[in-house]
Amino acid sequence: MSTGVSIVGAGLSKFGRQPGRSGRELALDAIQAALQDAGLEWADVQVAFGGSDGAGLADTLVAELGLTGIPFTNVKNGCATGGSALMSAVNAIRSGAAEIALAVGFDKHPRGAFDPRPEDWGLPAAYGEAGLMVTTQFFGIKIARYMREHGISEKTLALVAEKAYRNGALNPNAWRREAISAADIAAADMVNDPLTRFMFCSPGEGGAAIVVTSDAVAARLGRAVKLLGAATRTRRFGSFEVFSPSIQGLGVPSSVSADAAAAAFAAAGVAPADVDVAQLQDTESGAEVMHLAECGFCEHGEQEAMIANGDTEISGRLPVNTDGGCIANGEPIGASGLRQVHEIVTQLRGEAGDRQVADPRIGFTHVYGAPGISACTVLAV
Amino acid sequence: MTALELSTRGTVWGFTVQRFAPKSPPYVVPEGGFVPFAVGYVELPEGIKVEAVLDCTDFSELDGLAQVTLVAVDPVPRFATDAAMARGSAEALEEAR
Repeated sequence: MSTGVSIVGAGLSKFGRQPGRSGRELALDAIQAALQDAGLEWADVQVAFGGSDGAGLADTLVAELGLTGIPFTNVKNGCATGGSALMSAVNAIRSGAAEIALAVGFDKHPRGAFDPRPEDWGLPAAYGEAGLMVTTQFFGIKIARYMREHGISEKTLALVAEKAYRNGALNPNAWRREAISAADIAAADMVNDPLTRFMFCSPGEGGAAIVVTSDAVAARLGRAVKLLGAATRTRRFGSFEVFSPSIQGLGVPSSVSADAAAAAFAAAGVAPADVDVAQLQDTESGAEVMHLAECGFCEHGEQEAMIANGDTEISGRLPVNTDGGCIANGEPIGASGLRQVHEIVTQLRGEAGDRQVADPRIGFTHVYGAPGISACTVLAV
Repeated sequence: MTALELSTRGTVWGFTVQRFAPKSPPYVVPEGGFVPFAVGYVELPEGIKVEAVLDCTDFSELDGLAQVTLVAVDPVPRFATDAAMARGSAEALEEAR
């Protein structure tokens, strides 16, 4: 029988703009923080997985970490890079190939990054010439449709972003640490209706690392958080993704987030109702609203009352994105999935300081990204 | 594989308004400069939803389950509301005079 897997160390670099520092340096900061957190040294790590979307190859980090000769596999999986690296590390422990494994994700995107070219997406040049090669259009269309179908108001979108900045202000490592009122968020420049400038995350900078071990090693080290379940998925037929000239199939589009969340919960043997604190992909505030339902935390449309009631606040029934999420931390693509895991580990250990949720036992993380990928974990103490 | 001829009239499934000029390149700014435009998906009777630029005289025409008609396929599909179709006909008539 294979061993269980525990997280024994979690580390972050600083997030937000850091002129003069490379993405690789941010990755090294995160790895050192995770190892120190675990009470381990680089020489103890037996296998590693990691990557960035645009800041270099993770395996080159051994030049600075130490040439210990371990297998170090590069992962490049868009927004799921961190999640896929963690999944690989988890599987290495489960298989018995290693007892101590590391996952790292990092990125350093300049202002206004993400300049996709039609040809890289298999689309005709005309698609870009007509003005459709714009990522934010997808988010605007998806939430606009969702609001109409399920009775979500524009005020709710502003409240989600307001919470993100408020939680960011409580998080010493967040990029955006100034509270912004829902009124100011709603009144900001419209990017793609119904989403204003302050409802979107920005391309950012940061690194995140997680150390996982077998049960035996975790028992020795202490402060372990159990990984009850994890899953990564790609989209099925009929899903709605960024840069889609059409949505195939009939009826309601399929959801890769729903698939990944259901698989992670099934593996963990717990239900969404058991979760005490969650991290959900919030590329923009509408995404957090929709992912609440796609991941199984409520029925479609219930978010309107939940959010008005404060259920997703730190003091609420199901605190969501307690560290400020992507909106307050920015989006370094490779790092975000592991930043989410870091926050849940911190919450479950009771070490989240001013943003600590009262006595959480089970936590959940969810990333979603182009072109239709999702990674989820269920963690517990 | 067989080609399926799609209908030229459908329902606006979802849309947004492009409020700022997309980055050029690849975007080609139209003569006379950028003006905000609507973009979304049109659900056709065959079930498929097709991404398209949406012509209208006012963005509010696209709310609800607005009916739109295909008016161009190049460089990308373009559908128009009945009001935009009527305006288009009036303008064509004006030009013909």
